[in-house]
Amino acid sequence: MTNITIERTYKASLADVWALWTTKDGFESWWGPEGFRVDVRRLEARPGGELHYAMIADAPQQVEAMKRMGQPVSHETHGTFTELRPRQRLVLTHVIDFLPGVTPYESTIVAEFSEVEDRVRMVVTLHPMHDAAFSRMQVQGFTSQLTKLDRRFSFQS
Amino acid sequence: MHIETFQVLADPVRLHIVDALRAGERSVNDLVDTVDIDQSGVSRHLRILYERGFVDVRPDGQRRLYSLRPEPFHELDAWISGYRNLWEARLDRFGDALRRRQVARAKRHKERKK
Repeated sequence: MTNITIERTYKASLADVWALWTTKDGFESWWGPEGFRVDVRRLEARPGGELHYAMIADAPQQVEAMKRMGQPVSHETHGTFTELRPRQRLVLTHVIDFLPGVTPYESTIVAEFSEVEDRVRMVVTLHPMHDAAFSRMQVQGFTSQLTKLDRRFSFQS
Repeated sequence: MHIETFQVLADPVRLHIVDALRAGERSVNDLVDTVDIDQSGVSRHLRILYERGFVDVRPDGQRRLYSLRPEPFHELDAWISGYRNLWEARLDRFGDALRRRQVARAKRHKERKK
């Protein structure tokens, strides 16, 4: 029903931006909500390629929150690069299968890349309605987002 | 944000009805034509939408006219802003990671030149 599109422009090479999505160390360097880190087990950067990683709560508060909700602190997460055109476009589909009582469903993220002079424009499209019913990880992510904003705010003042 | 709001809209027929009502007030018969399921099905979904505060209904002679209420959509809008913020933060981290990567490479180049 409603898609969200977020655009960013980075002063960087297209190769570096692409690497953050499609290499083990690149992906691990940013993926996941605040308070979590990921350990990539397998990342196949090709159409239909597999993505498998552990999402691990590593901030003390996050570990505490997961325990309180009766969730494990680490979750094996599976996805697929359902589409992949090197340095142009990728579609990453995740299987959301960690919600008690919720039938597993797929969550899709589309990322598109283009060069604009010496910069790279990245457009990420999300489908929040589809994800909404559902993901406690997202709820967790949202909570930690507020923490992060607080922190940034105090950093700026 | 109530999960229920999403569950109400997760049903394709109800979503279709809500979409049809975006153009304005509609009668049940009108909705039956648009949504293309039988009247009892449409009525059942309209009752759910009414009970959850998504629609209002008023009589107009023999007909009952349905229209959207703004409240759940405001709530939805607020939730979606939160979702967007979460992803903005992720992409902030993406930008930070990108800079670290560039710095690390510049360092390696420098060391190689020594």
